[in-house]
Amino acid sequence: MRTLIISAVALLAFLLVPLFVQSPYALHIFILLFMAVALGESWNVIGGYAGQYSVGHSAWYGLGAYGAFILLQRNATPPWFGVWVAVAVAVVVALAVGWITFRLRGPYFVLASIAVAEIIRLLALNWKDLTNGAEGILASDIPPLKLGETVITDWNSKTPYYYMGLLLAVFCIAVNLVVKRSKLGYYLQAIREDQDAAHSLGIPLTLCKNAALGISAALTALAGSFAALYIGFIEPQAVFGIDISIQLLLTCIIGGIGTITGPLFGAIVLVLLSEALRSSLAQAHLLVYGVLVIAVILTMPDGIVGFVVQRMRRKAGTQ
Amino acid sequence: MSALLEVRNVSKHFGGVRANHDVSFSVEPGIVLGLIGPNGAGKTTLFNCITGYYPPTHGDVFFDGKRINGYPPDRVCKLGMARTWQKVRPLAKLTVLENAVVGALCRTNSVAEAKEIALEQLRVVRMEKRAPVLAGGLPIGERKKLELARVLATRPRMILLDEVMGGLNAHESEEIIQLILDVKKRGLTQVVIEHDMKAIVRTCDRIVVLNSGEKLAEGSPQQIVNDPRVMAAYLGDSGGAKA
Repeated sequence: MRTLIISAVALLAFLLVPLFVQSPYALHIFILLFMAVALGESWNVIGGYAGQYSVGHSAWYGLGAYGAFILLQRNATPPWFGVWVAVAVAVVVALAVGWITFRLRGPYFVLASIAVAEIIRLLALNWKDLTNGAEGILASDIPPLKLGETVITDWNSKTPYYYMGLLLAVFCIAVNLVVKRSKLGYYLQAIREDQDAAHSLGIPLTLCKNAALGISAALTALAGSFAALYIGFIEPQAVFGIDISIQLLLTCIIGGIGTITGPLFGAIVLVLLSEALRSSLAQAHLLVYGVLVIAVILTMPDGIVGFVVQRMRRKAGTQ
Repeated sequence: MSALLEVRNVSKHFGGVRANHDVSFSVEPGIVLGLIGPNGAGKTTLFNCITGYYPPTHGDVFFDGKRINGYPPDRVCKLGMARTWQKVRPLAKLTVLENAVVGALCRTNSVAEAKEIALEQLRVVRMEKRAPVLAGGLPIGERKKLELARVLATRPRMILLDEVMGGLNAHESEEIIQLILDVKKRGLTQVVIEHDMKAIVRTCDRIVVLNSGEKLAEGSPQQIVNDPRVMAAYLGDSGGAKA
């Protein structure tokens, strides 16, 4: 009940922010934050609950981005329709890949996930007729979003992106909540804890992992297409590169893997940290960023949320 | 009465190692069958063959008249045959209740209903008060009982217990023996791997002895305890060894 009230208040506050904050840079930071939250929560479904550490999620991110861009460019399909096609493509590819790679366990699955993302990146690089290769695609103007005859937004300021980003982040969190409390959620966590034991309790391993991967890929593709449209330009390295995959992973690792709130905190830390360091340290920011990330992982192996929960348990224990 | 489980000429070879060779026995509904033998006799391998973890190299496994070799473990469980593990496998970061819920979800899609079934089974093993504790923090005795509650929650027709008393003290073992007898009263068929002969004699209706992967003997507890071949397998062939 208390968490419900806190969430409602927080959501209301976020809804009101653009009314008071006019600075495009501040809104930009919020949008980055929403994207990071959405992406972290997306990865959480397969990595956090099912314990399958995919380091190839840039594949789904990039498929979402390219799908939405190509449809917008060639057929002038507005993104709010094109995105769903892109999501469908990502899910179909993800299920095909999952069907093959979920025979592998632990580090072998991780390697396979990286390999798949690399294959898709190379495809995007060389299939020039479709993707324009390394030159990338610059987004054409997004048609105005209309409801009937009323124009809701023409996408010329940060505000519409702010609300889309917020909606996306809330949607990804909601999906996580539903999954975690469902039968699938229990099954995924059982698989994470002990695959053989889970199997003996009647859990169809490949089916459950594929369901989780499908959900995760769909959310990642959705977030990927949003991010790409916001940035306005895509090229293979930027959307299929391993940096994207690692960023998702880090968001969850730092926040707390397999928790709803973990990616939230992870996103806040990562976005603020990288922005603050970028403005103060310029080129050296990646170095400091890396060192800080290692420090967090070493001191809080279960992430921020895990660390806090442990502290609270210990406190409750001593009283 | 037709057998609930029939193991027919099952062999499991790993390269040149014959972990099981031509083992046959059957388990009638409602009985407790003991599976004993010295270390390395192939007891756990046989469990793995029966429950779908390994396909047998030769031979067949029938459950309720249905040939089930090649079935994956989850389908075997769905059919009604559930197993525990010699080395306990708690879902460490889930609570005791959640562990049992995972088992209960085998027969229902409703998490709420699964929680009820799970609590019921925790009561059977007298662990309902431990429901909110993380399973990873339990002592060994409670882990073994949780494992039992978890398989019972899958609502099986038959359970296979792999050394549920291993590593327990006398008091804890006694508790498990009582649980096996309670479960038997409710009509659940059981196959029990165990080293403690006293526990075996008290709980089992019939015993199968494995040695070096092959079936050495089968009979009532009395017959087995007095069988010189079984003594020889456990203690070494005294005549041959001394000479």
